[in-house]
Amino acid sequence: MSMAAPVRAGTLFVTALLLASCDGKGGDPAKQYGPNPVLPEPQQYLIPPMSVPQAVGWKPGETPTVPNGLRIQAMANGLLHPRIVYPLPNGDVLVVESNSPGTKPFRPKDYIQGKVKARAGAGDKGGNRITLLRDSNGDGVPELRTILVDHLHSPYGVVWVAGMLYVANTDAILAFPFTPGETKITAPGVKLTDLPAGPIDHHWTKAMVASPDGAKLYVGVGSNSNITENGFDVEEGRAAIYEVDRATGAKRIYASGTRNPTNLAIQPGTGKLFAVVNERDEIGPDLVPDYLTSVKDGGFYGWPYSYWGNHVDVRVHPQRPDMVAKAIKPDYGLSSHVATLGVAFSKGETLSPQFTNGAFVGEHGSWDRDPLNGYQVIFVPFVGGMPSGEPIPVVTDFLAADRHTVRGRPVGVALDRTGALIVADDVGNTVWRVSASRQ
Amino acid sequence: MARAVSAFEIQRPVHSFFIGLGGALLMAALFTDYMYSNNSLMQWSNFSAWLILGGLILALVSAIVLAIEILLHRTGPIRWLDFSILAVAAVLSIINEFVHTRDAWTTVVPTGITLSAIVTILLLVAGLRGWAVTDAKPGEGL
Repeated sequence: MSMAAPVRAGTLFVTALLLASCDGKGGDPAKQYGPNPVLPEPQQYLIPPMSVPQAVGWKPGETPTVPNGLRIQAMANGLLHPRIVYPLPNGDVLVVESNSPGTKPFRPKDYIQGKVKARAGAGDKGGNRITLLRDSNGDGVPELRTILVDHLHSPYGVVWVAGMLYVANTDAILAFPFTPGETKITAPGVKLTDLPAGPIDHHWTKAMVASPDGAKLYVGVGSNSNITENGFDVEEGRAAIYEVDRATGAKRIYASGTRNPTNLAIQPGTGKLFAVVNERDEIGPDLVPDYLTSVKDGGFYGWPYSYWGNHVDVRVHPQRPDMVAKAIKPDYGLSSHVATLGVAFSKGETLSPQFTNGAFVGEHGSWDRDPLNGYQVIFVPFVGGMPSGEPIPVVTDFLAADRHTVRGRPVGVALDRTGALIVADDVGNTVWRVSASRQ
Repeated sequence: MARAVSAFEIQRPVHSFFIGLGGALLMAALFTDYMYSNNSLMQWSNFSAWLILGGLILALVSAIVLAIEILLHRTGPIRWLDFSILAVAAVLSIINEFVHTRDAWTTVVPTGITLSAIVTILLLVAGLRGWAVTDAKPGEGL
């Protein structure tokens, strides 16, 4: 009997499978900016796509790069995984230092993926606290740095409304009595409402903004998986933006199908709610674009059944054509896997005339795309109240020149009282301040 | 029986024990894949991923034991047909483990469960042929 036949057949089959799974490199991100991003055909990987730079931090004197006419300085460093920056009305800047509460692996892949992401600094322990920076004269050098609140539970969103500081821990919103000017909160927080958290808590961040009248809090709750691979039962109430009544704590789902709404912002003037949302992974380097969108009350944005409107994701089973038909197309693509984590509207011509009307967006950077994408803060211009045109890079060179090491990764962005752009950097453990250099 | 067998006697070759153990795990993955394809409950797909990984680890152990047995001349000559069947099953299972790293439905349908079925057929043949990839040395006991 011949041995060669089964061996040869096996080899052919293996070769065919490997060829079929050959993944190309990501294309030009510029094709995916705006309302109609180019969407290639989805692909299935054999080996999970992972491509992360090694986190090395900033050497003394190193900073990210900003365009001519702007200057950048480190406002604070040595922080513990800073994620969100929040300026108070008196000019103090709150820095939320936090990271994932930690998830337990389900299957062999989870062990490996966790290790790979940790290489880029994603696994560092967060401070679980809020640090206050006071820069009274507005020169970007704080005279005072104190720990405002400690012992939080993976906090992220923070909002001050009417004498109360609301902190969105991963599992609940806490309210602390607080008057700007104070530098330490000792009273325990009072729980306003629970938020979906464990088990798993895959996308753990709870972004939060207040409605213009302060009556409601909007909270972003991410999905509990990439694409339902942890089961449907753990997705109950997730991948949604909640509206929480500030007086009673009563909440409802304001919009759903938003895979990971990592940050929220209220548009000045119109009072409209906008969100940056991170879309799904592992169907190609150019799928699916993360996006910036206005959020419609009751709107469904596709996850998990479809993306960018009605592009069906075959990985979800059972499928729901009725939900796919309802899915809303987001307003503006930011290109794939950039991992947008911050969004803040500009306040007029505080930095440069080109940044007068639009939104700054912090892109934490890709972990599953080659070449890397993101790792910068961009400005998305608005025309007629909607994002329009090409984004403009604002804070760049978080990646080192070799493109294989990363010094920092931008997260939350905000404009301080002087109109300077504040950026949290959770790998460089720094808060950056970008101001007009003429000052 | 021709002779009394001690309870502590180790039958040679030994590698066939590990092959049989690993083979059982790989064949069980066909069942868990079938369950997932039937009910879409992810835990069944997770079971498959662990079963296939376990089968592959035991395949590695089997290969090491086989190499030792050959080096120490504790076994007869290699039966290349059995060896080939098991080698193909192992290679397909490596691919299958990677297929099971995908997310949700495509961990199993259609490629994963197809590979599990092919591997199960190969292992049924190998198992019915006695799991061993060498002839036993006649008359060898411990």
